[in-house]
Amino acid sequence: MRVNSYKLQKAGDFWAMFFSHRMGRTGFLIFCFFIFLALFAPILRTVPPEISGSADRILTGPDGISWLGTDDLARDVWSQVIFGSRVSLIIGFVTAIITVFTGTLVGLVAGFKGGIVDEILMRIVDFFMMLPHLPLMIVLAAVMGASIWNIVIVISIVSWPSTARLVRSQVLSLKERPFVEAIRCLGANDITMMMSEILPNVFPVMFAQGVLMVTETIYAESVLSFLGLGDPTTISWGTMLHFCFESGAMARSPWWVFPPIVCIVSLIISFSFLGTAVTDILTPGYKEKMGY
Amino acid sequence: MNIKFVARKILASFLTLLAITFVNFAIFRMVPGDPIRMMFKDPRVSIEDIEAMKVKYGLDKPMMGQYINYMKNLAKGELGISFWQKKPVGKVIAERIPRTLGLIGLSLFLAVVIGTILGAVAGWKGGSKTDSAIMGISMTLYSVPSFAFGILLMLAFAYHFAIFPLGGIETPASGFTGIRKIFDIARHMVLPSFSIVLWYIGQYILITRSSMKDVLSQPYIVTARAKGVRERRILTRHALRNAFLPLITITGVNIAFMTGGIIEAETVFSWPGLGRLFYDAVMKRDYPLLQGCFLVFAVAVVILNFAVDLLYTRIDPRVRINGEAVNEG
Amino acid sequence: MKKNLPILKFIAAALFIITFSTTAFAGGAQESGAAEKTRLNVAWTAGQSLDSLIIDENWQYLEMGCTLWQLCYDQLWIMGDAESGYAAQPMLATHWDVSEDKRTWTFYLRDDAVFHDGTPVTAYDVEFTFEYLPASDPAWDMVDFYYESMTVIDDYTIEITMVNPFGMPYPPMYWAPILPKHIWEPYKDNFKSYENDHMLGSGMYKIKEFKAGQYVWLEANEDYWGGAPGVDEIVFKIYGAEDTRNMAIQNGEADMVGYLGISPLTIEDFEDVEGIDVLISPDINIYWLNFNLHQKNGIQDLEVRKAIMHAVDVERIIEMALVGYGEPADSFVYKELEWYNDDITRYPYDAARAEAILDAAGYKDTDGDGVRNEKDGSGNMSYELLATADVSEEVKAATIIAEMLGDVGIDVQLKLVDTDTYYNYLYTPDEDYFDFSLSTEGPGPNGEWFWDFCRGWDNGGAGWNTAYYSSDEFDTAMDNMMASNTLEEKNMYRKEMQKIISEDIPYGIIFRKEIICPVNTAEFTGYTATMGGTSNWINPWSFLNIEAK
Repeated sequence: MRVNSYKLQKAGDFWAMFFSHRMGRTGFLIFCFFIFLALFAPILRTVPPEISGSADRILTGPDGISWLGTDDLARDVWSQVIFGSRVSLIIGFVTAIITVFTGTLVGLVAGFKGGIVDEILMRIVDFFMMLPHLPLMIVLAAVMGASIWNIVIVISIVSWPSTARLVRSQVLSLKERPFVEAIRCLGANDITMMMSEILPNVFPVMFAQGVLMVTETIYAESVLSFLGLGDPTTISWGTMLHFCFESGAMARSPWWVFPPIVCIVSLIISFSFLGTAVTDILTPGYKEKMGY
Repeated sequence: MNIKFVARKILASFLTLLAITFVNFAIFRMVPGDPIRMMFKDPRVSIEDIEAMKVKYGLDKPMMGQYINYMKNLAKGELGISFWQKKPVGKVIAERIPRTLGLIGLSLFLAVVIGTILGAVAGWKGGSKTDSAIMGISMTLYSVPSFAFGILLMLAFAYHFAIFPLGGIETPASGFTGIRKIFDIARHMVLPSFSIVLWYIGQYILITRSSMKDVLSQPYIVTARAKGVRERRILTRHALRNAFLPLITITGVNIAFMTGGIIEAETVFSWPGLGRLFYDAVMKRDYPLLQGCFLVFAVAVVILNFAVDLLYTRIDPRVRINGEAVNEG
Repeated sequence: MKKNLPILKFIAAALFIITFSTTAFAGGAQESGAAEKTRLNVAWTAGQSLDSLIIDENWQYLEMGCTLWQLCYDQLWIMGDAESGYAAQPMLATHWDVSEDKRTWTFYLRDDAVFHDGTPVTAYDVEFTFEYLPASDPAWDMVDFYYESMTVIDDYTIEITMVNPFGMPYPPMYWAPILPKHIWEPYKDNFKSYENDHMLGSGMYKIKEFKAGQYVWLEANEDYWGGAPGVDEIVFKIYGAEDTRNMAIQNGEADMVGYLGISPLTIEDFEDVEGIDVLISPDINIYWLNFNLHQKNGIQDLEVRKAIMHAVDVERIIEMALVGYGEPADSFVYKELEWYNDDITRYPYDAARAEAILDAAGYKDTDGDGVRNEKDGSGNMSYELLATADVSEEVKAATIIAEMLGDVGIDVQLKLVDTDTYYNYLYTPDEDYFDFSLSTEGPGPNGEWFWDFCRGWDNGGAGWNTAYYSSDEFDTAMDNMMASNTLEEKNMYRKEMQKIISEDIPYGIIFRKEIICPVNTAEFTGYTATMGGTSNWINPWSFLNIEAK
């Protein structure tokens, strides 16, 4: 027996509302644009981004050969930006999945079990939330060494607790609802109940958190790379900025500085827009207000 | 104020601090390679010298002994000797704290003032073009990393239009004293603090705007409006006052997050505060100093959170005694 | 809408006023304050900055460290500039005598030198320094200071008997600050226990103010025995990054760079600028591939090292990583020195030959994945190239080397780490942290100490010898070189050693940069460029010769 009374919206409604939301639409478009770049990187008039070019094309401005100019090894900035989007999106998504998964698991268990388990888990969460995030990331990255996967691990370690806390409070409020009581009376065990009734209702929170995590990861990667703690052998937007800053030629090569900054900013904006839209839609009353 | 609540908070903060010291201690034992060897630039350093240095830094003992030692020294206020500056870490850090506090203070002040005003305007004019413009700008600002802001500000205002200095806290070897010195420092503060402000301002705009909107939809405001109370009076008497509460929370949280912005801004503008010190310590792999800086950041955050909790209960009596509402608000 | 405008206007006006007033006030004050005295501003990056005046190895290994002490202290003798052919010049010692066997040296000191506190500099200070400095600071534990006995003959004469013969062409006791005995006596067992806040020496400049990580303010020593310097003040300013340092020179905040010059990428920003001259000189440092012979893989095979050397197109590295500002190098001895050996084995760029050598030696791609396999078939020839991530040019050079070796079927993984970790790994080849590395060091014209880079580990070479190289032939040649007491004999062994290294390739020497130094010629003259630029560890001359126009 399933009780659907509390399910939020039908999927169709959700998407309809999403696309009529101006921010949602804009964010989604920008996001699709970057996905497109990342997927079709090899055929977007790119050259392999790591391979150095010829000596007479070092630090040339944008022209017909290199749309966005070249860097200090005569590598094509356009190709670096395009392939860099893959790195940013991949580490963004991987980190989001890891943190949301861990956070949800901890939140579910804590919220559902309650008592001493809850107390211990929440103290751990509190502890992690108390730590200053960027300094912790920097310290971990410095200690663990520069590699793209270490960056993922570092950001994950620092970021999972907020999801755990949100999921837990969601679970707590769901637990009080009559329909959960009802199934419990019918003798469903914890696991079944968690999977079939609680989890689906936690999805919106997970989704919003996931979106937030992607933005935070892209941001954190760029900061760590800028500070010289990124993976210098992988071309990402952050390492592009780092190399530019290190080269000493930043002031005279705007075509090299601006593209990665513009990309970081627009991708983060797109996710912020997505997040705002989803939050708005999931806010009780929005549906009625918009007349669905 | 409820004593039990305060006691509970103090205990929790204390436990967190204890755990932080442990993490702080453990992280730096995970370093690959030999951190003691890194202290010597001369490759011909003898094994005896390395061993002697290990004894000096207490690294020859087993882990548990090292931790106890570390805690003992910490209790005495000793954070070890910086590998690179050769001075006690505590002394090095103490010198930097006021500079960073100054930068944080100014940035926060500007962010709160400008952010609240813009946010209030946006909320008041909800749905208008002003509103969407302010919202768009603030979300964009919020998405730009502060180091990128810093670089852009520097290129624009210290290089192309050389209005402000390229970095540092004062004009080197100026010999300025008194009011001149203050002005000199103020001038050096402008760009770094703006690179932080521009980022945080977004949050203040969002938070003030949403609480403003909340308040405006409350029945008593509707009543007040119907009674013909002047708009400005409604704004100041009711709306802003109610927006005040989340502002305090977000400010507390922000100071905690500001450690990030501080590191970025101080690094870009080589502001000789804690953030730049932290960055230099990372770059030079000065582990005692890094440990000390991290501890200071962590302790500051714990204390601030504690202070915000207390302040919050004081202002808003509705906060439940066990403090849950504060964190989940 | 209109109602909001006053608020925004107010904010804008307030910001404008703050900005304007602080700028005008502080800016104006600065100019009037600095007008009376001539001041040379020298720009450094934070990574080069000395953050403590305690005497330790930073005086030797850190850029600002090895520059600053030379301004505040005198040396017994000093190496001349490029024009003098790097010949030994008198400083505290006006002249010196040497015995027949070139081991007993008598230095005659000037009697008019005084420390900054007015105490005269005597032979006792010299004796004290040479007795305790190398013992207290391992960085000075160099062949130049290995003496058997020291005798103070009178206040201004000291006789030193060395373990090895010297004078071919340089006297011993090179490059050390003469410390005031009356200050350091209580700390003689551990110089690091003295804070040394004032750097009290007998040098041309005195420390006026030292702010760690921000600036060093030096003032002229008016009572200097050689006459007061040509400027009243020197300020070492520290900038956060290379970019800001360069901007400072462009906008006149600084007059010259402290060390290592600027990136060749930015040379156009300084060329054709009125009042700025760009001085270009060969580097003092030489770059090489440091093979780790401790690794149990193909790197141990001489044929593989030969192939790698043939596969590396040095000209392309210079064009790409140095934008053309560099030249190929093939020996630890500079080409311009008398004892450079023309007749060494060279490995010109020839990718086909590299492939042929590898094929002939049995390194073939047996599994068809595009990467050659080790001779015993134990896997791919996949090697880690260690380089510092902090120096842009080295990262670029390493990147290109990896590409070029990839072209001949050797897979190279870049291992880019921070400088400290880099040296930690490099100095412990026996820990196998790397297969080969891009390394650099500056022997200087008086490069006797440098041969320790090749002395076998079991023969006392552990430390400098980062290649884990061991050759009895080389060690014998080196011992003979140290023991010889005529220049001809010494040069013969010096050439032999170069030959052995070029055949065994523990170090595959590849290039030497050019150092680009922009200097403000509108206000000052007297900049002196030697190898390594206008300011470096063998060259305090710019600061000694500088004059305000």
